Formats: sequence, C-alpha cells, structure tokens
Amino acid sequence: MNERADKLVREDCRRVLDGREKQLAALKGDTLFITGGTGFMGTWLAEMLACLNDDFSFKTKVFLMARNTDKFQGVCPHLAGRKDMTLVKSDIRRLSELPKQTHWVIHAAVTPDNRFHSSRPVETMSTVSEGIAAVIRAADPCSDFKKLLNISSGLVYGTQPWETERIPESHVGGPVMGNVASVYAEAKRYAEIYCAAARSQQKLPVVTARPFAFVGPYQSLNTPWAINNFIHDALNAKIIRVLGDGKTVRSYLYGADMSFWLLRILVDGVSGQAYNVGSPDGISLEQLAGLIAEQFDPQPEIRIQASVPAVTQRTRFVPDVTLAAEGLKLSVKTPLKAAIKQTIEWNKLSRSTAVAV
Amino acid sequence: MNKILISDPTLRDGNHAANHQISVQQIAAYCDGADAAGVPIVEVGHGNGIGASSLQLGESPIPDFDILRTAREHLPHSKLGIHVIPGFATIEKDLKPAIRAGVDVVRVASHCTEADITERHIGFAREAGKTVFGVLMMSHMASKELLAEEAKKMESYGAEGFIFMDSSGHFLPDDVTERVKTLLDVLEIPVGFHAHNNLGMAIANSIAAAKAGATMLDGTARGFGAGSGNAQLEVLVAVLERLGFKTGIDLYKLLDLSDLADRELLKEIPTIRSVSVVSGLAGVFSGFTKHVYRIAKQYEVDPRDVFFELGKRGVVAGQEDLIIEVASDLARKAKASS
Repeated sequence: MNERADKLVREDCRRVLDGREKQLAALKGDTLFITGGTGFMGTWLAEMLACLNDDFSFKTKVFLMARNTDKFQGVCPHLAGRKDMTLVKSDIRRLSELPKQTHWVIHAAVTPDNRFHSSRPVETMSTVSEGIAAVIRAADPCSDFKKLLNISSGLVYGTQPWETERIPESHVGGPVMGNVASVYAEAKRYAEIYCAAARSQQKLPVVTARPFAFVGPYQSLNTPWAINNFIHDALNAKIIRVLGDGKTVRSYLYGADMSFWLLRILVDGVSGQAYNVGSPDGISLEQLAGLIAEQFDPQPEIRIQASVPAVTQRTRFVPDVTLAAEGLKLSVKTPLKAAIKQTIEWNKLSRSTAVAV
Repeated sequence: MNKILISDPTLRDGNHAANHQISVQQIAAYCDGADAAGVPIVEVGHGNGIGASSLQLGESPIPDFDILRTAREHLPHSKLGIHVIPGFATIEKDLKPAIRAGVDVVRVASHCTEADITERHIGFAREAGKTVFGVLMMSHMASKELLAEEAKKMESYGAEGFIFMDSSGHFLPDDVTERVKTLLDVLEIPVGFHAHNNLGMAIANSIAAAKAGATMLDGTARGFGAGSGNAQLEVLVAVLERLGFKTGIDLYKLLDLSDLADRELLKEIPTIRSVSVVSGLAGVFSGFTKHVYRIAKQYEVDPRDVFFELGKRGVVAGQEDLIIEVASDLARKAKASS
C-alpha cells in the first residue's frame, strides 16, 4: 500500500465522522475484539478506530483476529504495525478465550464470497455455526463485557420481492429451505437465533447487523459482483459488460460509512435487535455502469445484454434502514457517486500492490 | 416469441467422430457456411476441447491455435466458441492463447459432480471479458437436485449461462424436462442443453428442454458428433421454427451447410448402431464407441457387454484406459467359464 492511498482512507474516515465521534465515546479506553478482522469489513473498522485513536484520543485497544494475518501485515502495514492494534492468528472455530479485558466484540468472521459458499458449503456452515458458538463461549467469562455485535447478512431475508422497494427488518421471508445454495443465509439465520438464545440464557448483550452491499477500498475487484466487475473493467480500459437488461437493482454503502454504522450499532444498538446496514438508495445496474463510466476520460463503452444469451431475470437487493436512521440517527454520508470516485482513485493508487484482503 | 440461442459444435463434437482429424480446409469451408447461415455460435477444437490432443484421447494433426485462427478468419459474424475441460486445458498454455486468437465464447466443462474444478477457468475467462458458460457433462449420472447444486457453483464462479450435456444419450424427454425446471428454479442465468442421439431422442429431448424453458441448445450438422451423434442441427432448427421458437438462422443456408458437411466433413453419417443403443442404456459416454469396438474386437468379447460393464463402473470421459481393463476382465471370465 502507499501513503497516498492510506491518506485517502483516513480522510474518508474523518469526513464520515464529521463531528459525530461523540456518538462513539463509549468505546474510549475500552478493548474491542474483531473477528474477521482483516477482511473488507474488519479492515475498515480498524481504519475508523485508528482514526478515532489518532484524532480524538479514544485510546481504544483493538484486537484483529483472522486466519491469515500474515497477508494483512503485507497489505496494511500501517494498521498491522500500530501499538493499539494486535493481530490474533486463529480460526474462529478454535477461539477458546478472549483477552480478559475485552469489553466489546464484533463478530465478522466468514467470507461473504459466494464462490466459497458454493465450493465449500460444509466449511461455510461450520465456520458460521461453530464460530458464533466459540465467540459467545469466549465472551461469557469476560467480567466487563458490554456487547457483542453479530454480523449477519441481508441474505437472511431470502429473495427480495421485486415489488418491495426496500426490505425492512420485519420482513417475513427466508432462504429456500433445504437447498445447498442457501447454506450461507441459513447459517447466518442460525447464528442470529443462537445469539438470541445466548441473550436469553446467559444474559449476554447481543445486537445484530444485517449487511447488504458495499463499495470501497479494500474490496477485491476480482469477485463476480456487478460493481466490482464494472470498476475492474473500467480500470482496465475494457467495455463495461452489463449482463441482462440492466434493470436489476442494488444499493451500495461506502466502506467508511459502513464502519461508522457498525460501531454505532455496537455501541447504542438495542440488545436483541437486528439492524439493516446498507444504502437505501437503489440504483439499476445500467445506471451504476453509467456512474462508473463517467469517472473515466475517455469513458468506457457500456454494453447492455453483454452476454451472448439474453438474461431476463431481474432482482432487487435494497435495505430499508428506517430503524437505523430513526433509532441511531444513522445516514449515508458518502453519496454513491463519491463512493465510486474514491474507490477508483484508491485502486489507481494501489494498483502496484495487492489489495484483496 | 421465445428465442433459442443455437451453438453448433460440429467442428468440436464432430471431431470425436473424425478421430480428431478435421483439417483446416474443412474448418474454413464449414465456418464460411455457418457464418452465412447466421449460426450464432460455432464451437471448434479437439473433441475433448482445447489442450486435449494426446495419444490417449486422440491426437489432432493441427495445433489448437491453427484451428482457432482458421475459424476466426472465416467467422466474421458468428461467435467463435471453445470447449474447455480444466485438467486438459490450462489457463496459461491453452486458455490465454485461445482468447488472444479471438475466441468469443468459453464453455468450461467438468464431469457433472465436479463443478469445483471450473472456478479458476471460469473466473479467468470472465475477467478477460468473454462470455462464459458452465457445462456439466454426463449429467445423467447426477440427480436433478445435485445437478442444480453443481450448476449453482458455476453460476457463483461467474458463469453467464449453464448447459447440461447428455453425453451418453441416456435421457428421455421427461428426464430433460424435470432437469430444466429444477435448474431454472435455482439459477439466475439461462439454461441450455446438449443432446446425444443414442436412443434416437436427441431432437425430442432438445425440444423438451426448450418447452421447459431452456433458451440455449446445441446441434450439429447431420448430427455429426461422438458416438451416434448429436441433435441434428438442421432438423432441430426446422422443428423449433415450426413450434414458434426463433433461432435467427437462415434455414435454407443451414440446409446447404448440412449438405456441405455431408460432402466435405463426414466419412460416414452418424447412425444409431446396436452398440450405441447399449451405450445409451448403460449411460456410458458416446465418445467411447469407437474405442469399445476396437478393443472388444481385440479381446474377442461382445462390445455390448463391455458397455454395460463400463456403465456399472460409472466411467467418465478421460477414463478410456478402463475399456481395456473391462474387456480384458470379460475375456478372462469367458475363458475361465469355457
């Protein structure tokens, strides 16, 4: 990574905080343990916490746990080398204890990469189910423990009905039962109810976040997701290929916003409550491709129905975030256009370095 | 009006029937005709796909690159497709040069229960900006549910369409219908079907697929393909048009193309021989037919017995060496009992 890319991320954290650091004051002087600490989500959380420590003297101690911390040390030395950050190399399923002084846990282990879920469904399920059990077991003896934030998934709702513009936390639905394609979503549902059981039986404060889709630095552009593909194509001066008629709808929250939302939900989210995390502003893939293309000069060509067979299926994946907005005063600080601009800029700055963490 | 995307693997599956000896002149002539007829995708290469030319699977006298370059030069409008089986084809040695040669459509294939092996190849072709299909072969060896699960893997890897192959011509129309419906329930990408004609069902099965919602079908001129051949392209297109499906292909020119293939390409028109019926019933890859005939003759055993025994063992393409083992066992048993 280079300093200019690091600076871009830091400035984004400052911009998103925008005087709201007081809303996270409960973290001051505390210890926060993050599982999945080197993924897209974990890295952004580390960036935001580093900013809070540097700019606002939060003095929060952060533990970042992951299976492969070596790679993180290479990709994010500015985070890995900090005195207030400790890397813990472990499989979440083998987690036996937390640092005794742990006050907060964000459980973000398990990749959201659906290629992994498809190829390794057993590992996906065991990592989610054994992982949440391990985290709760480890948190129980911590005498000053305050709250666990369980990172679930927006996929627990199953397929969003096309006519439902935004999907609320109260939506009654779910993944297709008994189908191996549902392993990730079903495992996340299991983890949610496991948290509810622990809250009831062990009186462990637990809040749940259901993430939707994100964009930003630290996101691998090699995953076969629309926004990643479009940015990847444009950065490589290729045609932006939109499969289907471009009417599929998604929404994207910028990484810096996401990290602030998650910390807010951790600190002030109501125990037992689940909060959608994402942008409520849906955009068609055709429009998304246009937003990305206009960041380049010359603009890359956009090809709708770029694949040889016509794709007719349209899907929608957009959260209703009223609960987070009204309960926690959360809002989108980075408009999508700016989020895309920052993502492209960061990737340009980082191109000589591997960025997929 | 429902539109069907036709892929024509005459110059690929037909290579099985030609012992992988199709020449550049034949490729050029056929591609000229296919392009003129408006065939959307023309697939070329060794029967087992690029990178598969070998002593065991059959050696092609022409390097893959020459095949692709020739086809590309003679397909100004039609898309150029290739069949890629990871293991035979590597990304560095085969896929990259193929893409540089101008391939438009990459069909990454595996045995029906081994979609996992296709991830890197699908990912690479997708990243290269090519249309990528996932293909599962010998699909009768998987239940419809398992087939859908494997297909879903390919979709997650980035496949833009999915095709299941009835490599041994084992299916009946109802088998195809229920598989297409199950696949469409699970997948968000279009579904296609590739038929073989061992039981004389290639056209009927293809039509069943289309009626069930498949939007991609394969067919070859005169049915030129492994074993007893594929769905006969000109018949398939004619029947589809009669049923109200649109293919965008000029039927007269396609008929001319079939006549050309008959004259220039085929030493013998694929027929359903007795042994092909057995291969279809036994669920053994049609491409084994020539090898089974030859080896059965060598060991003086009934080729039908060889097929049924291969079916019991669940052999798949690439396991041609097992034919000798089976024939040898049968010969030994026959000798012992006489």
